[in-house]
Amino acid sequence: MKNERGHAMIELAVCAAVMVSCLAGTFQFGYTFYIYNQLVTAVGNGGRYAAMRTYRAANDADLEKGRAAIRNMVVYGDARPSDLSPVVANLRPEQVDVEWVKDKTGAPTAVRVAIRNYPVNAVFKTVSLEGRPGVEFPFVGRYAPAEREP
Amino acid sequence: MSVTMLLLLAVMGLAFDVGRIYIARNEAQVFTDAAAMAAAQKLDGTKAGLDRAKDAVSHVSMRWNLGTQEFRGVVVEFSADGSKWESDPKDAAGVTMARVTAPDNSVEITFLRAVGGPNNFVVPAHAAAMANPVRLTE
Repeated sequence: MKNERGHAMIELAVCAAVMVSCLAGTFQFGYTFYIYNQLVTAVGNGGRYAAMRTYRAANDADLEKGRAAIRNMVVYGDARPSDLSPVVANLRPEQVDVEWVKDKTGAPTAVRVAIRNYPVNAVFKTVSLEGRPGVEFPFVGRYAPAEREP
Repeated sequence: MSVTMLLLLAVMGLAFDVGRIYIARNEAQVFTDAAAMAAAQKLDGTKAGLDRAKDAVSHVSMRWNLGTQEFRGVVVEFSADGSKWESDPKDAAGVTMARVTAPDNSVEITFLRAVGGPNNFVVPAHAAAMANPVRLTE
């Protein structure tokens, strides 16, 4: 009887180790995919917004203001957010890369929006996203290089 | 034991496979949105404009499957009013809309196939945009 109890304990220990590993892995991948999916949506929204907004570039501060508005759209879902709660957990504006692709004249032809240095903390392991997810949209907005950002 | 194993595989499948399917669908939608806008931007009422629109779609650099795979079999169609779509319209003068479909994004199923799921799950996406001004319409 004592011997059988020992067997059962060993069986439980082996099975529990396998089960816990599987469930931990499932949580790890599931949560990481969930966050990645939210990031794809966020950069997609930011890319669409950037592609259609007026490009104002009277000076460097205006360019930076424009980039900040695009980052806000990615992070908060609003170019001028009143509520500073990010749409993706712990995402900050400085973790969003905004890069204009320009032609020879300096006019924008496309905009790239990507996530950089964003850690997905899924308890058992942290995965850092660098340059992914990223989108590139053609610029279809109004080109106003002499205008100031409001 | 086998019932527990099947349940475990189903849970893993839901987290892993369904997660990937949702990401692929989202990536494909963002790609087709960008591609439709790129195509609509090139429409100018000429046959050359239609060719430039197709070329613009082929140059959209986005990828799917967690940003690792190129989109294949992308279809570009054009329309005057959004009711009838053609890949090669005879009359380019009236064309004001472009539609892009990414039909072949096949996500390989890893765990759910062990509990009776399919081997692959195709996640198509499409988007349409109008020209002047370029705006997404669907």
